[in-house]
Order: sequence, then structure tokens, then C-alpha cells
Amino acid sequence: MGIISMEKVDHLYWLGRYTERVYTTLRVFFHIYDHMIEQPEGVYAKYCEKLNIPEIYTSNRQFVQSYLFGADNPDSVYSNMKRAYDNAIVLRDELSSTVLSYVQLALDTFESCRKTTAPLLELQQVIDDLLAFWGGADDYVEEEDCRNILKCGKYVERLDLSIRLDYHTKDLEKEYRKLCNRLEKTNLDYSKEKLSRLEAIILQGEDPKSYCQEALACLGGLFT
Amino acid sequence: MRELIEHTEGINRLMARYGVKFGIYKNGEFHEQLFPFDAIPRVITHEDFQQLEKGLIQRVDALNLFLNDIYGEKKIIHDGVIPEEFVFISSGYLPQCEGIIPPKKIYSHISGIDLVLGKDGEWYILEDNLRIPSGASYPMIAREICRRVSPATFGNNSVVDNRNYADMPKETMEWVNTGGIPVIMTPGRYNAAYFEHSYLAERTGSALASCTDLFVEDNHLYYRDYRDRKQKVGVIYRRISDDYLDPMTFLPESLIGIPNIMDVYRSGNVAIVNAPGNGVADDKGIYYFVPKMIRYYLDQEPILKNAPTYLPFYEEDRKYVLDHLENLVIKDVAEAGGYGVIFGNELSSEKLSEMKRLIEKESRRFIAQEVIDFQDMEVMDGDEKVLRKADLRAFVLSGETTRVWPSGLTRFSRNADSFVVNSSQGGGFKDTWVLSQWKK
Repeated sequence: MGIISMEKVDHLYWLGRYTERVYTTLRVFFHIYDHMIEQPEGVYAKYCEKLNIPEIYTSNRQFVQSYLFGADNPDSVYSNMKRAYDNAIVLRDELSSTVLSYVQLALDTFESCRKTTAPLLELQQVIDDLLAFWGGADDYVEEEDCRNILKCGKYVERLDLSIRLDYHTKDLEKEYRKLCNRLEKTNLDYSKEKLSRLEAIILQGEDPKSYCQEALACLGGLFT
Repeated sequence: MRELIEHTEGINRLMARYGVKFGIYKNGEFHEQLFPFDAIPRVITHEDFQQLEKGLIQRVDALNLFLNDIYGEKKIIHDGVIPEEFVFISSGYLPQCEGIIPPKKIYSHISGIDLVLGKDGEWYILEDNLRIPSGASYPMIAREICRRVSPATFGNNSVVDNRNYADMPKETMEWVNTGGIPVIMTPGRYNAAYFEHSYLAERTGSALASCTDLFVEDNHLYYRDYRDRKQKVGVIYRRISDDYLDPMTFLPESLIGIPNIMDVYRSGNVAIVNAPGNGVADDKGIYYFVPKMIRYYLDQEPILKNAPTYLPFYEEDRKYVLDHLENLVIKDVAEAGGYGVIFGNELSSEKLSEMKRLIEKESRRFIAQEVIDFQDMEVMDGDEKVLRKADLRAFVLSGETTRVWPSGLTRFSRNADSFVVNSSQGGGFKDTWVLSQWKK
């Protein structure tokens, strides 16, 4: 159609953010799950602190169940998947039924493997579905504006998580450049001041670890 | 065919993947449910469809003429064919639409006509849906999937392709477009038929808009994009009921709708699909008069039959209804979606008496119909074939010409003793095959 309403821009942006949040946190979770084999109880505490989510878990086992599948846990990966779906479902005409179906499949997988004894085995399918979603978005989403906004959300989220999870400066640089590339193409109004401060922190050698909170604030305030 | 049945589960899995769902409110909470698909199709022969097609076109043409007349000269009332009480006290009659001539004089662009096939082999019309009939998208996507699952089934049977449905509303919308973009307006994702709204937007290439995306300026309707640019809208397929369309004209307390869209429509600057005010023609009370309309406007005998219907409003009919209530179906004219349908034979003697009192007191509120002995259809229940009641919603599109989609939504009851087939009450659906004249 060549026209996108403000409401849809919002949904596209948050669809990008939530799908990326599910994708990255699931991948990170795979490592944590592995660490749990040898590590004592409570290994998840540091992770919660980094992501700034409440540490409400009582055991490794309960963490696995609640953090992955908790429908009542607003910080669970499942809740984020549900939010991705809520944003996607109103975008069928922009995304196409084909692309939307991968979000539906990812959500369905989450719901069907809640009681499994080997969650990582099943959740690999969610990662595959999300990769297919992104591949499909490149191929099927006809409007360039839509793709750019979607990817803008994706890279904001990825950079946000990369900062929180102490990724290496080189990785942060890479994600920052991807974000800038998309931002320029979106025609969205954003704060150039906050972006340049973010650049200073990431590209000009300022230690993002010590400036973590400021970097996150810049990122979070890009569109306000 | 066996192949299709064997893969029913797989077909339903693919439907789930594509989000083929409908919404339902239970205890104030919204739930999305899959619409169960049964792989055994309803099959309509070429000859049978030709007859159906003629009858449906005739009926919808007459209904469109009736709507033009009612909001215009009202000749049918002046000539004593329909009593005015039945028109003006109908909740579907909107005085705000008086004198409006819609683009190309089409009121009902997309009509959903519900029929059943009697055991006598005759089709009977159960009701006309001229407001915002839904359901075409389900068989459309089902066919797409079935063809993938069993190409041989379609290779061996001459089934008319029904996947062109989206082109039909698209062409209708183009025909009445007053100059601007086409828009499908949805009340939002928590509407029961949201899947259809979004799927049709995708397939017709229309913008899917919510009320907040649209606004009126200088007596034109516009769609506002995120860069604050505006695009003129020439046709709006609104999937929202008349009451909520324009708070300045209808319900002032409504928080949804597009303020002043009725002014734009009245000025001929936008086409509204379907037109506001159509409810007067698909009122269950008016249904009784449709055969008379066909004779009056078209000077033809109706091709399709109504189910035998009585209007308690008329003394003679009232007496019959009260005497035979236990054998009749009673319908509350204000209800829809399978609600307000009461089978006399299911009522206790106490409830029967209560119903009789109500009919005497509010005779205009009800119609009564003979229970049609309609053909059961085979449905798979696990590995077993069982018989269930089913109806057919035929879709008739009015644009440059009036056309019938060579397919339809066959809905069936999942309970053995039930006549109610509505999805909101647990029903499922089937594909509807119309056979081509070229046999394989």
C-alpha cells in the first residue's frame, strides 16, 4: 500500500524487539542451562541482575520452568513470545500470512512443549522459526519502510541485550552500526543527541561496562 | 478424497499455523479458537449450482432494489406489499440514511445468504445477511491447503477453483470507489472475525485500518500515515456495525467509529461497503416478505424458497403459531449468530406457556418457522463417519454485475442433536465444492 499508520509503526518496532528478545535470551539460556549441570543452585541470579529482572526463583529447576514457560511471569521468554505474537497478529497485511505464520509456529511450539522434560530439544524449533521469520521478512515484506522499522526494533533490542550481557566491544560496535544503518532508512524521528552519545560510549573507546546505564538510557530514549 | 480425510489432522495443523481462528468472549474474557475443519466437502453439482446462482442473484438484486426504495420513494409500502410497521420499527432501519444514494446505487455489496438443503432436494433460504457477513476466508484458505495435501483429489474431480474470492470484493470495491485508496476497517484484533479482516486486507491489497487511522477533513475521508501524510480513501469495507460507524450520527457515547464519516458518505465522497442501513432488509421479520419483493421489483417468481415462515404479527399466523408452537422454531428478530433461536419441541410445558405469552405480548419481536427436515452431512468424528446438520453460507457480490462465488462456507454442528451450526457455538466447517461442467 505504501502507507503505514503510526499504530502499525509501533507494532512493527515492538515486533522486532520482542522477536529478537526471545531469540537472544533463548540462545543465552541454552548456555545457562548447560552451566547448571556443574554449577550450584542459584546460578541464574547473575543473569537476572544483568537483565534487570526480579530474581524471584527458588531453584534451578523452578527457574527453568518459570523463566522459560511462566505465563504469569512477565519476564519469562514465553511472555515475550506472546508479546511478539500480539504485535504480529495485527500486521498480517504488512507481513503476509507466510511471514506471520512463523511467529504463530514459534508461539505454538512454546505452548506445546511446556511440560517437556527436555525443553532445549523442543525450543530449538522456536529459534529455527524465528530465523525463518526474519528470512521471510526479508523476502516477503514488500514495503521497505516496514522492513526498516522492524529491523530497527530488532537492532535496538540486540544492542540493549548486548550491553546488558557485557558483550565484547567489537560485538557492540557491530550491532551499533547495524542499528545506525537501519535508523537512517526508517524516516522515523529519533534523538540525534542520544545517538551520538551512544556512539561516543561504544565507538570512541569509552568503556561500555562503566557506562552501561547511560548507554541503555540513550538507547531507550532514542524515540522519546 | 480418502487422502484428504487421512490428512485432516495435518490440514488443521496448517490452518493453525496460518492463524485460521475466530475470537469468542467467555465470562468476559477473549479467547481465540481454531475453527475445526472437516475434510469431507459439500459437493454441489454444476446443474444445482446454476439454479442456486440464478436464485441468489435474483434475491440479492431484489434486496438491493428494496433498500434503494426504502431509503428513497418507499413505493413498496405505498403499494401495500409490505406493512410499514415492519419497516420502520425494525432496529435495522436507520432514519439517518433517508435520501442517501450510495455510489452506483449498491447497498449490499457483499451478501451472505444462509441456506439448507432439504431432504426433498430443494434449497431453502434460512436468512439473508446484508450487514457484514463473514466467513468466506475460511473455505478460501482451506482449499489452498487441501490442494497442497492431495493434488490427486482435485486432479481427479472437476472442482471449480474458489481461490479467487479476494478478487471479487476487490473488483466490487473498485467499481464503487469514489477516487482514493481502498481500506478495510476493523474494530481490532479482539473482534470475533479479526482473522478474516486481516486476511482479506492482505489478499485484496487494501490497507487494514483501525478507527484511529482514519479521519474526516473537508468532507473527505483520509488515512493518516506515520509521517503525518494523508491519503484519500475512496472505498471503505467496514467490518464494524452501523451503530459504531459514526458517533456524530449514531451512538454519541461510542468511543470507536469515525466522526462525520456519514457526512462524507451522504455527499457521495466515499463508498461504504456494505452500506449503512442494510439491517432493515435482513431483519428476520422482513425475510418473510422477500419473495413478495422479488415479484414486486423484478416481476419474477422466486427461484429459491424461503423456509415456511409465520409472522405472529398477523392474527391468522399468530393463531397457527400458538397452536403449533411445539413443532416450530421461534426466532427473536433482534438476535444473530445462532442466539435467540428456540426449538418448540425442546421447551417444557411451563416454558412453552411462557413463550406463548411473550409472543402474544410482543408479536413483532418473533418469527416462527417450520423445522425443515434438511439433509445431514457426513462428518469425521475421530475415525468414524457420523451425520450432522449443516448449512451453507453463499456469498453474493454486487458490483458491475451480481455474481455468486462458486463455493461458500459450509458450517456443521458438532453435536449430534443440534441444529445450531455457528462457529461461536462450537460448530466446524467444510470446503464447498462446485463441480465444473467439464467432467474428468
